[in-house]
Amino acid sequence: MECGMRGQLEERESKIMSPNQSTAEVSHLAVDIGGSLIKVVYSSSNNNNEADDKGKKSSNDCVGIPNGSSDYPVLCGRLHFAKFETSKINDCLEFISSKQLHQCADWHHEASSHDKNIIKATGGGAYKFADLFKEKLGVSLDKVDEMDCLVAGSNFLLKTVHPEAFTYIDGREEYVQIDHNDLYPYLLVNIGSGVSMIKVDGDGKFERVSGTSVGGGTFWGLGKLLTKCKSFDELLELSQKGNNRVIDMLVGDIYGGVDCPKIGLSSTAIASSFGKAISENKELEDYRPEDISRSLLRLISNNIGQISYLNALRFGLNRIFFGGFFIRGHAYTMDTISVAVHFWSKGEAKAMFLRHEGFLGALGAFTSFESHGLNDITTH
Amino acid sequence: MAGLTEDHPQIGIDDIIDGSEQKLNEDIVERESGGGAREMAPPAGNSIHRSGSRPQLDLSKAAIQGNFEERDPTILLPNQSDDISHLALDIGGSLIKLIYFSRHEDRSVKDRRKKFLEEKIGVSNGIRRSYPILGGRLHFVKFETAKINECLDFISSKQLHRGGMDAHDWNSDAPDNENAVIKATGGGAHKFADLFKERLGVSIEKEDEMNCLVAGANFLLKAIRHEAFTHMEGQKEFVQIDQNDLFPYLLVNIGSGVSMIKVDGDGKFQRVSGTNVGGGTYWGLGKLLTKCKSFDELLELSQRGDNRTIDMLVGDIYGGMDYSKIGLSASTIASSFGKAISENKNLEDYRPEDISLSLLRMISYNIGQISYLNALRFGLKRIFFGGFFIRGHAYTMDTISFAVHFWSKGDAQAMFLRHEGFLGALGAFMSYEKHGLDDLMVHHLVERFPMGAPYTGGKIHGPPLGDLNEKISWMAKFVQKGTEITGPVPMASPRTTGLGGFEVPSSKGATLRSDASNLNVGVLHLVPTLEVFPLLADPKIYEPNTIDLAEQGELQYWFTVLSEHLPDLVDKAVASEGGTDDAKRRGDAFARAFSAHLARLMEEPAAYGKLGLANLLELREECLREFQFIDAYRSIKQRENEASLAVLPDLLMELDGMNEETRLLTLIEGVLAANIFDWGSRACVELYHKGTIIEIYRMSRNKMQRPWRVDDFDVFKERMLGSGDEKPHPHKRALLFVDNSGADVVLGMLPLARELLRRGTEVVLVANSLPALNDVTAMELPDIVAEAAKHCDILRRAAEAGGLLVDAMINSQDVNKENSSSVPLMVVENGCGSPCIDLRQVSSELAAAAKDADLVILEGMGRALHTNFNAQFKCDALKLAMVKNQRLAEKLIKGYIYDCVCRYEPASS
Repeated sequence: MECGMRGQLEERESKIMSPNQSTAEVSHLAVDIGGSLIKVVYSSSNNNNEADDKGKKSSNDCVGIPNGSSDYPVLCGRLHFAKFETSKINDCLEFISSKQLHQCADWHHEASSHDKNIIKATGGGAYKFADLFKEKLGVSLDKVDEMDCLVAGSNFLLKTVHPEAFTYIDGREEYVQIDHNDLYPYLLVNIGSGVSMIKVDGDGKFERVSGTSVGGGTFWGLGKLLTKCKSFDELLELSQKGNNRVIDMLVGDIYGGVDCPKIGLSSTAIASSFGKAISENKELEDYRPEDISRSLLRLISNNIGQISYLNALRFGLNRIFFGGFFIRGHAYTMDTISVAVHFWSKGEAKAMFLRHEGFLGALGAFTSFESHGLNDITTH
Repeated sequence: MAGLTEDHPQIGIDDIIDGSEQKLNEDIVERESGGGAREMAPPAGNSIHRSGSRPQLDLSKAAIQGNFEERDPTILLPNQSDDISHLALDIGGSLIKLIYFSRHEDRSVKDRRKKFLEEKIGVSNGIRRSYPILGGRLHFVKFETAKINECLDFISSKQLHRGGMDAHDWNSDAPDNENAVIKATGGGAHKFADLFKERLGVSIEKEDEMNCLVAGANFLLKAIRHEAFTHMEGQKEFVQIDQNDLFPYLLVNIGSGVSMIKVDGDGKFQRVSGTNVGGGTYWGLGKLLTKCKSFDELLELSQRGDNRTIDMLVGDIYGGMDYSKIGLSASTIASSFGKAISENKNLEDYRPEDISLSLLRMISYNIGQISYLNALRFGLKRIFFGGFFIRGHAYTMDTISFAVHFWSKGDAQAMFLRHEGFLGALGAFMSYEKHGLDDLMVHHLVERFPMGAPYTGGKIHGPPLGDLNEKISWMAKFVQKGTEITGPVPMASPRTTGLGGFEVPSSKGATLRSDASNLNVGVLHLVPTLEVFPLLADPKIYEPNTIDLAEQGELQYWFTVLSEHLPDLVDKAVASEGGTDDAKRRGDAFARAFSAHLARLMEEPAAYGKLGLANLLELREECLREFQFIDAYRSIKQRENEASLAVLPDLLMELDGMNEETRLLTLIEGVLAANIFDWGSRACVELYHKGTIIEIYRMSRNKMQRPWRVDDFDVFKERMLGSGDEKPHPHKRALLFVDNSGADVVLGMLPLARELLRRGTEVVLVANSLPALNDVTAMELPDIVAEAAKHCDILRRAAEAGGLLVDAMINSQDVNKENSSSVPLMVVENGCGSPCIDLRQVSSELAAAAKDADLVILEGMGRALHTNFNAQFKCDALKLAMVKNQRLAEKLIKGYIYDCVCRYEPASS
């Protein structure tokens, strides 16, 4: 399972697409076109007749539907996840085209006519690139509200996929059993290019209560300017090897190495991110990109953690789920966010993460197909 | 020195003398013999320091030497270097903020008039407290922490670590700095303690940072009238904060990092939050990204930036559309620096200006957001932002305000402090056991804006201007360098474009320095003797200024008037100092300095706080004094006084020939007519060239056709003379606020005073403490009255009774006995040196004199029109003036130049 779902995040295409499955065997497709990344979710068309052992076995890691229990046999298959950089949208279009994903509806006459030649799309790019999709693929993008999708995707995952949510403390992932009846309300923090904070009270019941422009795009954008990294992943990679003390001004730097217990700050707490870059006669080139990346990551993670906690507090929410592409299962990011939430809440609130963090929007868009058939799916 | 051996009358201080008297005397002798010929030292033979009507020293453990009657009392401060807190520091990660205290140099002489007043109306020199407050000046200075040696040099050159130069002088025999301690806060207080010990030989006593911040903020918010302001969409608005409704509030101090403190009262607070994304982040990241050399340079860059090239906006994601469902406009930043990812660009491909702006906005907005969330948590409506990150920078403040406004949906208010960077240092100053700031009230503080760094506190580091000479050179240099000081150009205010969005700030000029849009921090004069004028109907709603200079056209007009008047003023000022080369040099420097002030205010009207015409006029006088023009109109005043006094007997004879009713009208006409003699009015200055004083006066009086434009004379007359057989009781005491020298006071106000005296009303002539234009001063009035009294018995007896005549002053007790039958004519100073008067800050002797007064007469444009035209009093009030300015006439009374105002308002019982 781990390799199944996780692996896909690193690949442009799903490994699960077995070669013997023809390109025709694709049904519904949904995209989430964000500022930096395009996320694609589609279901493969293992129908009842073709269902084999392999399909059943993998029902644990994919969303499978027991035979005969659905009105939508088309969905008795797998969900696939793929991502592309928004700037390379043509790759994405080619991918869709090559898989003939957009023609899914034509291939499956059982599907609702409503779904014909339609791709469900969310994210800002659903508006921006609608014409491009029409032109290149001849399909209409059915725009679905971004927040609706995020929430739907998150609710779906939290209710359906087990285990989906986990905490990350001191380098240890710990899966959390979520009681369906005690899921709401929670705070959903989606960290994409920017950050949205959504209070979720139930299916389709939510409110965007806050957000911040300091998000994944900031990390990547600033990081790119500062380190010349070629990709987000490279930048993240660097941060693993960095030491932020070289650049951040710590409480200890100000207080000559001693804690400031009166206000509860240890000497290693960051007093000012990048604060050390001011006092020394150093230029950008004199700093290791690793250290810069690390400082930046801490700045952003810490900030998101703090604002999230303050918003959770405001509405009395004890659970905060963090999703979005910024996290990427990146240990240090999750750790920093967890620490920030723990610190500011004095241990009262917990940061939780989602395994399918990057695909909330796309999943939500997918579930907006009238006939997506995922309504009643439960973790079993 | 005879007086020193006499008894020591003690002022009301609990722990006055802990040494023996003998010891004190020895100290003084030591000082006298060892005291160098310092500039500030009083003339030889006099004792240490004269006490004016304003005690200028920290009086703790002080004793008055000598006695009141025979000698100017001297104040001795035996443990002065221990007792007076002179210096406090806030050593932050990037900047050092320094506050130091200096005594007033004011050495106003305690003359007979004042001594008499003490006895007659109970003015006691303001020394009425059991624990005195410090009288002096608080200076605010900044240095970069990286250049800490500049700071050490500054302290050393001013001997601040020894309690100032004065202290050193006073205790010249004392061992150097044996236990000298400087209070300091900020992280650097720990870090640089050794350096201070080594360089200055002083110990740093570390004060808790939060304590200091809060103490500083509480002090400022309570003691300074226009300290806090809001800043929305480029508009500054000062907020008057009710002292009783100050707490609780959230204090956000943005230094290298950010602290958020919930303040519940004095010393009652809690650090509730903070963020590591602060000023250090802006500077640090900015330095890495732009190669700027300083914070200010980086800030300056931002003013020409366009963040849209780097930030990913909602519109970028949504193809130019708003995401209206969740209230985000297309121009809302979705992801700070988010655009830097998607294009094949390197750091070099971005303009540093854009980077700086994007960074600034990200950090400011973030701080605003986190602050609001914390305010919300504790139900706080007011958030005060301080700390050096802000620097009066419009975009920063707007962004923070916007974030608070946006997230709170207008429920919470972001406010800023003029002394934003000095909270910690002020707090450290107040951590001295006897800092003397405890009981200060708003009316005890006067802020002045001398020209030249570092006194202005506007620059991070400027030359420490040791004396006037250096200042003049500095002024000259500055002007030569171009527009830097004379024409700072603040950026145009950024406007919001709707939900969450900002337009790009545009700058009106490329020469902008980042601190040019800063609010200046002046020198805070602590004048414990100032009081609120007790006859104000409601001091809380009292606003001295009639003209609101917030209106751009109004501002423009008055600046033009003042600018055009400047060359003439400089000529007079130079002439008043003998026309020497030195005087010319000072005159030039004054002109430059005042022009620079005007230019500064033209661009940033709120630079010195809320700006009214009175402030502007006072600024000019202060600026003259700064360049040591004590009294520019001295000779003119003298000449006009003499000319007017020469014709006074004729006028008095003429008046005495009239019946009561005609006389009263003629007197009021006379006041209005004489008010035409005004060197502050351009129109009148032109008149002077056309005729002699008496000619102009007669012409002016002939124009006095009633009804005047504002004419309450009949009501006033009825109060004075009654109607029918009903004779009203005379007023007990009248306060006459006089205006100009010469005909105005001699032929206008003195005859009116005489009439009141004749009717049995005590008269107190209220005049300026310091010269302003050709206004008569309290120092000059007794001589004028004495001269007038030579020809008039009424005036003579009253002046004798009022202690104004030298001959009668041999023994003040005899005076009282001899003249018990006559009502006195007295003179008090009003406590100010401006053509206008702010009645919230008047001298204690005026306040004392006001206690028994039931009639206030304000005369002249400055005091009755520019200020106080709408002031309400607890007693009868008469406002008399001739309007010698066309614009004012139109604005105020819908009339014309030379129209008259006679506004009478009976006491609002």
